[in-house]
Amino acid sequence: MVEVDWVSYDPGRVKAAAESIASHMDPVMVHFIENCVSCAACETACPYYAVGEEYGPVNKAENLRKLTRSQLSILPKIFPWLFHAGVPRSAEELNKWAEMAYRCTNCGLCYVTCPFGIHSGEMIKLVRGFLTKTGRVPTALKAMIDLEVSTAYNQVEGFKKLWSEVLEKAKEAAGGELPLDKKGAKYLYITSLAEAMISPEAIVSAVKILSTMGVDWTMPSDPLSIRAPVGALAGDGEAAAETIKRIYNYIKEIGPEYVVLSDGGYPYTSFRFDLPKIVGEKPPFKVIHFVELVLEAAKRGEIKFKKGDEKVTWHSPCKMGRFAGLIEEPAEVLSMASSNFRKLASHGLFNKCCGGGNAIACVVLPTLNFLGKLTGMNMKISKEEMEFLKNLEHDMHIAGKAKIDEIKESGADVVATACVGCIHTIRMNARVYGLDVAVKNIVEVLADKIEKA
Amino acid sequence: MDLLDFAIYVAPPYVVGIFAFGATYRLLKYLLFWKRAPRPERRKRGAGHLAKELVMTFLDPIIQSIKRKPHDFITGLVMLHILGVIPLIFLLSQHIAFFAYWFPPYALLEPFAIPLSATTGALSAVSPIKPVSEMQWGFVNTIWGPLTIILNGDVLAILAILGVSYKLGDKIVRRAQGLHHVRLGDFFDLTLLLLILVFGFLAAHHLPSGDIVTYRLMLGIHIILAEALVALLPFTKFWHFVFSFWFGKLHEWYDLKYTRGV
Ligand code: SF4
Ligand code: SF4
Repeated sequence: MVEVDWVSYDPGRVKAAAESIASHMDPVMVHFIENCVSCAACETACPYYAVGEEYGPVNKAENLRKLTRSQLSILPKIFPWLFHAGVPRSAEELNKWAEMAYRCTNCGLCYVTCPFGIHSGEMIKLVRGFLTKTGRVPTALKAMIDLEVSTAYNQVEGFKKLWSEVLEKAKEAAGGELPLDKKGAKYLYITSLAEAMISPEAIVSAVKILSTMGVDWTMPSDPLSIRAPVGALAGDGEAAAETIKRIYNYIKEIGPEYVVLSDGGYPYTSFRFDLPKIVGEKPPFKVIHFVELVLEAAKRGEIKFKKGDEKVTWHSPCKMGRFAGLIEEPAEVLSMASSNFRKLASHGLFNKCCGGGNAIACVVLPTLNFLGKLTGMNMKISKEEMEFLKNLEHDMHIAGKAKIDEIKESGADVVATACVGCIHTIRMNARVYGLDVAVKNIVEVLADKIEKA
Repeated sequence: MDLLDFAIYVAPPYVVGIFAFGATYRLLKYLLFWKRAPRPERRKRGAGHLAKELVMTFLDPIIQSIKRKPHDFITGLVMLHILGVIPLIFLLSQHIAFFAYWFPPYALLEPFAIPLSATTGALSAVSPIKPVSEMQWGFVNTIWGPLTIILNGDVLAILAILGVSYKLGDKIVRRAQGLHHVRLGDFFDLTLLLLILVFGFLAAHHLPSGDIVTYRLMLGIHIILAEALVALLPFTKFWHFVFSFWFGKLHEWYDLKYTRGV
């Protein structure tokens, strides 16, 4: 297991890490790496471009090109200086690579803006994978990955307490015992400890919706993950696959027709679209988000809405909108729930990113302190990493400003969204920019408005 | 045989050979890295939606460029691509004649030929007399009519030269700012393109002197550099126009719009 290390430089480790990354290529990644014309059309789309020109997608992704050129191409191996090939050659350079790789939320705005369909974010993810193998991984992220892969989170007192409190509230919302781990149930609701920490109300509301609808449902008695697959955020494909496979086996044991999620961030996209490739088969169940469940039930006339007039808007999480196609559906459901629903200026394919996704919001110091208090874990952070984290937090506020501005402009009192990372980031950034707004998971907004028809 | 004869009558098959080798190598690479994996169930959207989104996948970057980087849109896309090199390469009458010599069906594009200069173009607008020409076909009479006052080799070449120069300048500034995504290859490719345009322009104007030896040399250099570009195309960023633009956007459409139902 790799140890976190923000201080030293080990050439052997760097070399092995570079070789490992270069051995995981596919045709799409080859296209991303080889076909950039360096036009920089992608750069203004990126939330981190606001922090500095060097954080434009192509400039950040160039590190992967340097790395792969040094491993996979003949001429660049012989003339590295001529072809810009190579890996970091000092501790400082490694830290610089980390600084760049952690200024990416994997939002995909560069992907849809590039005239050649190059997703720099996916390339940056591989750079993170490389860095993780050299030890450059934020301590908090590494801790979460290790806890998730080993399932040791189930022994952490703070987490156990948190989970039982959430289940207790959910029980109240359901008006009776929860149907936990019920084999053969039609719907299996999957959540995570991250959701329990950041938006526990989302879990309670999800349970309330399922109970109101009167469907045959179940949920796990113990949390299945910190926020599966958290390894993906560090570019750690192996850790991500291990968790996904474990949860897949649990789902198969229960045998539902549908797996339902309230978290529309990367867990949704991972289970909805990445799962078959990871487990090597087509799953015998469908993966849906609550928005789909509610919308379908409303269309079939099984539920109706008590329409309110809350000034509510919708922030589309990148993973749920751009990467999972649910762009208009949440807006449709929200307009059934409130006569005062309004779209954000950037609503649509080019919806602005919150600025804190892809582990950024979950490793910055306020989150670290919160985690420390909750779990009693004492994470030792080196001076170098501390510096990295402070700067990251500062830049996250800059990257997220455009989102806060458009929320302000919308005049909404409530921001509905669906991703734990978005909720956490928008709350933190709203505080910084003095915006008084409630940020909720969409299921919280819907739960009180739904009635059985 | 001088350089011009070599460039026109000898080099083309070799150039196409090198290009074909390079293109095969690049394409084989994709196949080599391809692994079969189970696909997720796609989010089904109607055929109309998918067709519209196919067009939008290609249009969106242009719309974003107009909104966010208007100067890049004007210089890079309009001047360099849409008005500059694309019509110049494929439709300049001299180019059509050259391509048709090696590949006769190319002559079908003759009606769309663009004249070399504004003088020939102006004739079609102002001359009361129907132009006559000793040549096989009279390109003054092409489909473009009076538009040839703008759509002519001179104007388009100047626009393209300005577009490439802007790009080169932009790369120099970026490099000076320490942005490492600017690669040596960018300078090589853009300089090559600039030289092709400049030598073509010089030859067309019988510059720097009107004698036949200089003219043949200038035109010879123009063609040989252009042939170098074609031969190197699979190994340079010019590959984008043959393959990666189409592959990239179609893949993006397949990934986001077709599979994920965006
Ligand atoms: S827009 Fe695409 S081709 Fe242009 S620099 Fe960015 S990644 Fe490269
Ligand atoms: S994925 Fe988003 S944050 Fe990352 S480089 Fe692309 S635009 Fe920037």
